[in-house]
Amino acid sequence: MNVDVKMAWRNIWRNPRRSILTMTAIAFACLLLVFMLSFQFGSYDTMINSAVKIHTGHLQVQAEGYQDKRTMRLVVPDPGAIGSILEQTPGIDAYTYRANAFSLVSSEERTYGIVVIGIDPAREANVSTLKKVIRQGSYLSAEDTNQALLGELLAKNLQVGLGDELVMIGQGRDGSVAATVVEVKGTYNSGQDEFDRSSIHIPLKHFQDVYAMRGGVHEVVALGKSLGAIPAIRKAVAGSIENEDPKHVLVVLDWIDLMPGLIEGIKLDLISGLILYCILILVVAFSILNTFLMAVFERTKEFGVMMAIGTTPRRLTKLLLLESIAMTVIGIVVGIIAGCLITWYFQVHGIAISGMSEVVRQFGIPERMYPKLSFLSVTIGPTLVLFITSLTALYPALRVRRLRPVEALASV
Amino acid sequence: MTKKLCIVFFLLLLISAGICGSGQAQDPQALVQASFDYYRGKASFATVDMTVHRPDWERVVTIKAWTKGQEESLFRIIAPPKDRDNGTLKKGREMWIFNPKVNRVIKLPPSMMSQSWMGSDFSNNDLAKSDSLIKDYSHSLIGTETHEGMKVYVIKSMPKPEAPVVWGMLELKIREDHIFLSQAFYDEDLQLVKIMTAHDIQMLGDRLFPKVWKMQKADAKDEYTELSYKELAFKDGLPEHLFTTSNLRNPRR
Repeated sequence: MNVDVKMAWRNIWRNPRRSILTMTAIAFACLLLVFMLSFQFGSYDTMINSAVKIHTGHLQVQAEGYQDKRTMRLVVPDPGAIGSILEQTPGIDAYTYRANAFSLVSSEERTYGIVVIGIDPAREANVSTLKKVIRQGSYLSAEDTNQALLGELLAKNLQVGLGDELVMIGQGRDGSVAATVVEVKGTYNSGQDEFDRSSIHIPLKHFQDVYAMRGGVHEVVALGKSLGAIPAIRKAVAGSIENEDPKHVLVVLDWIDLMPGLIEGIKLDLISGLILYCILILVVAFSILNTFLMAVFERTKEFGVMMAIGTTPRRLTKLLLLESIAMTVIGIVVGIIAGCLITWYFQVHGIAISGMSEVVRQFGIPERMYPKLSFLSVTIGPTLVLFITSLTALYPALRVRRLRPVEALASV
Repeated sequence: MTKKLCIVFFLLLLISAGICGSGQAQDPQALVQASFDYYRGKASFATVDMTVHRPDWERVVTIKAWTKGQEESLFRIIAPPKDRDNGTLKKGREMWIFNPKVNRVIKLPPSMMSQSWMGSDFSNNDLAKSDSLIKDYSHSLIGTETHEGMKVYVIKSMPKPEAPVVWGMLELKIREDHIFLSQAFYDEDLQLVKIMTAHDIQMLGDRLFPKVWKMQKADAKDEYTELSYKELAFKDGLPEHLFTTSNLRNPRR
């Protein structure tokens, strides 16, 4: 055994160039896989967290059915009660109240049917990025009444600027005609075109007056401290809400319910990533198969000699397997170490992104992405490489058993 | 949807003219036209209570309605006081709304046409495209029934190719004296979406007319909108200035 290991080791270094090339190929594959998987996993956390901060939040409390029907009358009648439940729930970072109404919004020039959102300016600033994405004018203040913030694209469509008046006509909670005139106080650019084209924010108080909300809101939006804690928080909040009247049930929805498109985007991205990795691994496997196979052909005479002096085919197979496993393991270890180092560097410094796919971009990905090393992202790729390479190594190792000593000796 | 529009029209508008073609109506095309003319008349004026009913909620709005021909109509809310003087003007396939609080006339953009009209089960399209039933559908007689001793024609209306319609199929029931009894709206998959029925046929204005019209959603039993005529008069004509945006803004009556 000891002799076999020693022989295998020496055989590896008998042709250092070939061996190093093989090991480099393996190492490079591992490095890439470690980095890319870490990057993908890291980007998903960033994506989700930045997407929820544009508007939806991690969790929302709504009347049952509101998410689908968006009917004015499906309200959270006593938002304060939900607020105090959220206050007492550990893991909640911030929360706010919102009310929405599909309305006709009209400038001097144009009219569009869009969603008017009533927000609590102070609370909203802690939950969403709205305050930070104001591009012109300023954010709403606590005293504002008939002031409005709207998306840059909407402002462009309506052909209005700061200080211009907008007329809004919709339907109140009681079915009455709700109408008001608001003044454009600021415009924002969230990076999510759909949002910037179709929403206008006014102070919640004014919204409640105009739309006869009688103190009700449509959504209580909460942001958790971390993404991982959301399921537990959701459970805790759902457990604390007392639904006494079966006709007016309040439900807790998480970001997956609220933004089904986001998780679809992530799945799509993950799958396209996986396809890329499979191709990468396949290419590596073939190049390794090639070098292993060449090693056997090149050394036919040597094997003939060994068999002639009494080496069993079994022992030859073992020897070859030892050689390939040693090279694979070295390659993988080097790959993991290099991969971790590179990933760690970017984990600290971040990577500037410019060309993300459209699917991902519409959820407002930040300019810098941070890969995230995790046990999974470090082990999945190399394990696959180990598995594929071992399979590849089996073929030449078994093939050597078919050698006939005399013929083998005769080959060049 | 266009068909719906038509229906809505008659409901609200009640026009006068009338009974054209009270004669034989075997030709379904002529029958539908005759019925349309019967409930629209040349011009009409009406006061209607519109009740929007939901399982946990109900709201009544009183509306004054003027119509002229197939194309023009004007609606104005007179009660409840909170919504008083909100108005809708329809001309051809365009609509404008007026709100006294903001004192502005706004033309409805195409994107709003499928939205509900004043929170009811009627859509803006129901109003704006009320003449679509005549223009965009071809009608065929599929059966007859009897109603209060009179013959009722059951007519299936399919959209003409390329016609800009919303509905995949309509089923109309028209009594032999041209009174509209019901209209069912089907989507492209021929699933029933909503149905409008007429009740309480009595003398209104100068003719027999259903006093109550009810639009009911197919999938929600407890959700409907009911129009009940309090007053209806058919006229030979109404002044043109009535159907203008300036009149919408400044009610002279």
